[in-house]
Amino acid sequence: MTARVAVLVFPGTNSEEETRDLLLDCGADARIVHWSEAASLAYYDAFVLPGGFAYEDRIRAGAIAAHDAMLDVVIEAAQAGKLVMGICNGAQILLEAGLVPGSGEIRRPTAAFTHNAQGHFICERVLLRRTVAAERCAIAAALPEGTLIPAWAAHGQGRLAASAAHLEEIERGGHVVFRYADARGATDAHLAPQGSALGAAALTNREGNVLAIMPHPERDGWNFNHLDRREGADILAPSGGSTLFGSFVTALERW
Amino acid sequence: MRDLAVAELDDETLRARADALGLALRVDELRGIAQRLGRAPSLVELYAFDAQWSEHCSYKSSRSLLAQLPTKGADVVLGPAEDAGILHLGEHEGERYGIVIAHESHNHPSQVVPFEGAATGIGGIVRDVLCMGAEVVAVADPLRFGNVDPARTHQRAVARGVVDGIAAYGNAIGVPNLAGDCYFDAEFDDNVLVNVVALGLVKESQIIHSRVPKHGADFVLLLVGKATDASGFGGASFSSVALDARETESNKGAVQVPDPFLKNVIMRASYRVFSMLRERGIEVGFKDLGAGGIMGCSAELCSAGGFGAELDLDTVNVAVDHLLPEVIAVGETQERLLWALPEEIVDEVERIYNEEFSLPQVAQNARAVRIGRATAAQRYQLRHRGELVMDVPIDFLTGTVRDSLPAQPPDPPRARRKQDLSCERTLDDLLHATLAHRDVCSRAPLYRHYDAVVRGRTVIPRGEADAGVLAPIRGSQLAIALSVDGNPRIGRIDPERAAEHAVYEAVRNVVAVGAEPIGLTDCLNYGSPRDARQFGELVAGVDGLARSARTLGLAFVSGNVSLYNAAGGGHAIPASPIVACLGRLTDVSQCVTLALKEVGSRLYLVGETQRALGGSVLAALLSLRDEGVPAIDFERVLVEHRFLLAAARAGLLHSAHDISDGGLLVTLAEMSFACYPAHRAPIGIELDGLAGWSNVGRYESLFGEWGGIVVEVAQRDVDRFEELAGALESVREIGTTIEQPFLAFDDEAWEIDDLHRSWSRPLEELFP
Repeated sequence: MTARVAVLVFPGTNSEEETRDLLLDCGADARIVHWSEAASLAYYDAFVLPGGFAYEDRIRAGAIAAHDAMLDVVIEAAQAGKLVMGICNGAQILLEAGLVPGSGEIRRPTAAFTHNAQGHFICERVLLRRTVAAERCAIAAALPEGTLIPAWAAHGQGRLAASAAHLEEIERGGHVVFRYADARGATDAHLAPQGSALGAAALTNREGNVLAIMPHPERDGWNFNHLDRREGADILAPSGGSTLFGSFVTALERW
Repeated sequence: MRDLAVAELDDETLRARADALGLALRVDELRGIAQRLGRAPSLVELYAFDAQWSEHCSYKSSRSLLAQLPTKGADVVLGPAEDAGILHLGEHEGERYGIVIAHESHNHPSQVVPFEGAATGIGGIVRDVLCMGAEVVAVADPLRFGNVDPARTHQRAVARGVVDGIAAYGNAIGVPNLAGDCYFDAEFDDNVLVNVVALGLVKESQIIHSRVPKHGADFVLLLVGKATDASGFGGASFSSVALDARETESNKGAVQVPDPFLKNVIMRASYRVFSMLRERGIEVGFKDLGAGGIMGCSAELCSAGGFGAELDLDTVNVAVDHLLPEVIAVGETQERLLWALPEEIVDEVERIYNEEFSLPQVAQNARAVRIGRATAAQRYQLRHRGELVMDVPIDFLTGTVRDSLPAQPPDPPRARRKQDLSCERTLDDLLHATLAHRDVCSRAPLYRHYDAVVRGRTVIPRGEADAGVLAPIRGSQLAIALSVDGNPRIGRIDPERAAEHAVYEAVRNVVAVGAEPIGLTDCLNYGSPRDARQFGELVAGVDGLARSARTLGLAFVSGNVSLYNAAGGGHAIPASPIVACLGRLTDVSQCVTLALKEVGSRLYLVGETQRALGGSVLAALLSLRDEGVPAIDFERVLVEHRFLLAAARAGLLHSAHDISDGGLLVTLAEMSFACYPAHRAPIGIELDGLAGWSNVGRYESLFGEWGGIVVEVAQRDVDRFEELAGALESVREIGTTIEQPFLAFDDEAWEIDDLHRSWSRPLEELFP
């Protein structure tokens, strides 16, 4: 039986459809589940939290949603080893829920994706490279070594911030799954367009079954929205950022 | 009941009383109302007529002019009659799809409270598109700011506030910002222009109209959205008078307060209602609450279907108690829409908004609530606390009011110069100055505040081609292209040609991405219609739009008129007709971007150089006066565009970019700069000597803004391209792409990196 993926919608989520669509096109059985249907979440095997602005991002991005009833289910699932991926606002929620990097208590965050260095929303193309061993994070494990993932940074709060001690723990514990990279694949903190600490674009938890990724791979996920539309390629086929979604689906099949 | 004893007052006293009440209605209009009603009108009635007969709602001075614009065509599904127009996109899996397009201004609110004004501009237009039964898929923003030099703190704050407001609203509702343009001119110092365009996707069989359907007597009026408050009271009349700096403070209450997060949920809940209606095959009416609030919307929704209406203001969900009935009736609280529904589905629709999407939990007292009914009787009646506070013939309220005003035709600029320009300044100096000019330099510092790619359907975001491209239907290769244009440097010297150039540029940009233009919208931003010279500019502008669109075979399906835009000192802003063009691609893989693709390609100019620097950036830099504005031969343009589209479909265009602000050298430099975001080293260009491709002087050729498009054709495709061009004279080879990162011409060679530095930075200090 194909594993079932729930794409969660909070009041203010805005990227649920393309996230669901790319999961479908990568072979997952994905459905959008709405905040008033939280009771049905128990039937799903994996969870994806898409981008947007949950509960107006009051207090901090993701802070209120981390206390939503849907998160009770997600937290329990994550602790049971199910796969959970949060993109942009979804990533912020996973940090606020304390699932990632997971060094503290639940709903007592030790790190946050917070206000960009420039103090406002940015929307630009970025490249990401996995900077941990393949087996460190199940969701990114199927990506070939050195793959550059094209994505869009589109956020007002995408800068990783934490105390020096927690940052060191994040770095030492191999939590930084993806960093911002240049076209040659080099990574350097200054390549993070919003000044993210450690040049981090995505973090995982200790167990590697939860991934919080700030940029949107699904917005460069098919040939039609990929920057280098190759002649002759099927324009509607997944490409570019879909490799991460493909890896998620592969992990799901193995799970 | 509080009323105004119109018949008992002399003109002077009546004017004074009306002013004290904040009514913009003229004395003759007030007397006309009292006469028709046969009694003293109530205050609620007066505020209702004040909104409904304002320029903003009634188009009283422009309506007869607008009748000149072509509005019919093979691709027109719905012309300018409702909240938005609809153009045919194509068929997918047996369904015909249409693109809903609306075009509005939010100029006055944005001047007074920039952040909220610009944000509610997006909020309002999104509802215009939504209420046609469409999914909102894109917005675009043409902006005109004042002089934003470092010492101009107010003008800078307005510009920043507007951009922040657009970003905050558009990003939160999750609609990509696909296109736009931006100009800076001291004549917008006290009156910025903030136009906005929105697009929606709808199945043509499922369009919802802004009227109660034929069988709709007794249909329930269901109000949806934010709780009504006192914000936005007097908005319609406010946007129909010239701004006075002394009144800026008191005008602030007329601007609404946006809530994009609530809108995000309302949009999604409405999509759910659309699919429920679709399944049950029920015909309904749906309309956005804009000018005139509950009154304006319910009156128009019912009268358009041939009905009257009765509403009970006590049933309206309010944010605060003790609101006056006129505030509930005509206040313009944001984030509200009105359904006209048959009784049998009202409970279900209420359940979707209030329970499934839990509006009351999303924002204080937001909800769907019954507020009245459509009636067979042709009256418009409002009750408040058991009292009938408004009772008027509905056709008198919503019927056409017209003003006939004198117009004085503008003088075209005197083009004195018969010889080519000679100039002391070096090409190098002029090229860098042009690239760094605020009307030319990179807009990325501005538009990177906007989410260009949410929904994942954006094919070409802003900055990567002349028009934004979006593939709105999952699983389909159909795509749309959008460009919005209008050049105020031309508007200030030649109002008629400014309109022609706005059409030409919008259409040209759409063609440059390989899309077929299928329709237009316009927003006409002008001065006071009560000043014959200023009104004459509007008359000339509409003439220009009508003539050019007719020649190109395109219709205007939607539009807006914004008058009373004043530059201070009693004169108007530059004539600012702003035009949006929608294009269609049947195969999205054929779209063309502006980045050069390979070394050794040939570059062709499609278009004719002219000795006419009027309205150009060069003329601004050199303070040239009495220059003619380039003429446009739309017959020839049509032939050129057909050829370019054929070449794009045949896959012969590697890249394309039009010639506009700054002229040809800027066009070429930008084609090279566009390699950077693709993480590629820039490809250089060697431009051939003038003799091969131009018969006017070097300044006119290199900096003139006569239109046309430059295309890159791979060496292997040159024969096919030239064969396709056939006898078309205005296709000339002008250069070659080279490996060295230089733009080379004659004995000059500019390093691309150097040019890029001049071009990319000027707006960074304004929008850091």
